[in-house]
Amino acid sequence: MRNAGTCQQFVKAGTSVPDAVLKLQAIVKRFGTVTAVDRIDLTIERGEFFALLGPSGSGKTTMLRIIAGLERPDEGGVFIGDRDVTALPPYARHVGMVFQNFLLFPHKTAAENIVFPLRMQRLGRAERDERLAWAMSLMRLGGLEDRYPNELSGGQQQRVALARGLISRPALLLLDEPLANLDRELRSEMEVEIRRYQKELELPFIYVTHNQEEALTMSDRIAVMHNGAFEQIGAKTEIYTNPATAFVAGFVGHSNRFEGKLVEISGGLARMAWQGDAMLVPVPRDPRPGGAILFAIKFEDLEIARAPDGVDRTGRNRLAGTLRDVIFKGQTANYIVALGDGSEITISSAPRGLDLRMSEPVIVHWPVARGATFHV
Amino acid sequence: MARGSVSKGGLGTSAMTGIRSSLARRGQFRFACLAGPGALFIVVALLLPLLAIVVFSFWRTESYELYADWNLDNYRVLLGEPAYRIFFLRSLAMAAAVSFVCLVFAWPIAYFIAKHGGRYRLLLVLLLAAPFFTGVILRITALQGLLGPIGLVNMALAELGIGPVGMLMYTPLAAGLGLFYLFVPFMATAIYLSLANFNFELLEVAKINGARPWRAFVEITWPLNAIGTAIGLVLVFIPCLASALTQRFLGGPNATSLGMSLAQQFGETGTWALGSAMGVFLFLASLAGILVVRRTIDLKRAGFTGALGA
Repeated sequence: MRNAGTCQQFVKAGTSVPDAVLKLQAIVKRFGTVTAVDRIDLTIERGEFFALLGPSGSGKTTMLRIIAGLERPDEGGVFIGDRDVTALPPYARHVGMVFQNFLLFPHKTAAENIVFPLRMQRLGRAERDERLAWAMSLMRLGGLEDRYPNELSGGQQQRVALARGLISRPALLLLDEPLANLDRELRSEMEVEIRRYQKELELPFIYVTHNQEEALTMSDRIAVMHNGAFEQIGAKTEIYTNPATAFVAGFVGHSNRFEGKLVEISGGLARMAWQGDAMLVPVPRDPRPGGAILFAIKFEDLEIARAPDGVDRTGRNRLAGTLRDVIFKGQTANYIVALGDGSEITISSAPRGLDLRMSEPVIVHWPVARGATFHV
Repeated sequence: MARGSVSKGGLGTSAMTGIRSSLARRGQFRFACLAGPGALFIVVALLLPLLAIVVFSFWRTESYELYADWNLDNYRVLLGEPAYRIFFLRSLAMAAAVSFVCLVFAWPIAYFIAKHGGRYRLLLVLLLAAPFFTGVILRITALQGLLGPIGLVNMALAELGIGPVGMLMYTPLAAGLGLFYLFVPFMATAIYLSLANFNFELLEVAKINGARPWRAFVEITWPLNAIGTAIGLVLVFIPCLASALTQRFLGGPNATSLGMSLAQQFGETGTWALGSAMGVFLFLASLAGILVVRRTIDLKRAGFTGALGA
């Protein structure tokens, strides 16, 4: 309970806080023969919205549980503020956490659920009521104080869970796929809200998700996790436009993938042999001429035109194909094009001003510097 | 509601209601077929004898014969005679003590099985029922072998040089031990069944929110499993209150219970009417026990919000 006091002070004074709120040093966690977390280093800054993005089984939830103290790492250290909390139990760490399945206490009302952390801290009645009112209005839960969790909608339950996670003003808030159980509309609404709370409170959020759109919408910085290690960590625009590995390129955004052979490098571009054709693509890291490479390019980086077109060939790659289908999505449309070898690629662009018919021959083209290339 | 919508529709009202009532009749018939036999058995085997006992308790016995002249003498004797009062209080104290001890012992057992039993959960629960593989008399006899003057406990004590404890067998303590041994599986099973449906993740939530393990138990585990505990208490308390055999074989003269005395009325002394009054009295006491347990549990607060909500 001592740490609760210090935290309050920092909220009030706003000084003497180290810039790094959370530091993980070479964390390793094994379950039997499986290494769930493999030597992870991470620093979370003050007021940062950080997303841990990865497919299920990538170790992201295990990392969150290590930060919360629900799992002990086999190696490495966890630091919150300037305290080494590696050996501390969850109740001495003063972090908040929000879960995928809400996990509200079913025998307590909304208000009782929300003030639970304050009661555990033995906060005075007046302070407790004041904070409850603050959390209720922040989460727009007014009038629902005496409802039991099963009398609340999914979105309301999630807001109660958020209020419970935030009310003790923890050093950081951990969110474990908090929106996965909500329907689509509510989810996009909550995405915006959660980001708003985070910016208002200037509290670091660590947000675990397998949903790349969620991670891209909400966070400032993203770590893409795969097999217990970070594939890439950086600003979300960096992750999106400059994927460091083939896995990131496949996992973030929607990409077409071309597998070919690296022929040669000239003039800052690589020539890739693909299906008896040649493309100019960005140079992969540690290029090995003759090696197999993967070229990934996002749907929206491709352009489509009716064949024959008048597009200038210089500085652009061109592929001929026939239009298979157009999937109208509102702001954009996905054009599915069958190439000569029978494979299909997808182009995303604005649907207006392009009245293509089915089975019409088309040209897919893009500037040579677009996309990302990796050795495989 | 259904009726309202039909009359609003106007058309074919009588035909609709005809189909509806025939459907309802068929449903009732099916319900009667399914629930009937069980209900009949309960009425014949349980309610009728109970009723008979209530009736007998207002009659009179003389030289092993029952006479149907209505009176309250049996209850007067039962409440007035100090011996019976002592028997009853003894039974009550014994039942309460045994229930409490069972509770204290059963909770950790049940908790361990539910939390750490893994795939052996079912096996471990079945092991709880192991004492029931033999009859009650055999189990009591086994306890006699354990607690008797040259029983296992005394021999072990002698080996350790503490010397045999003479006063182990034929004491209220021995009777209490016997009852505890007989009934702790009921308590453990009831609590286990409750814990089997308990979401242990809620404890992680409590801990992250600052609750130490003991506090988390008091705030979350205990209230959310109060139903299991209550069922366990009822399952132990009521048979203990009426128990006769255990006290008779293990308890000695200072453990005579109301149940023992009751058995005597129907056996040796042949005073059926007084025995019936004792039975009614025990029944009411059990009922009171259940009501007390029921009163202490707010179903909503026991996590039963799902069934009662909205």
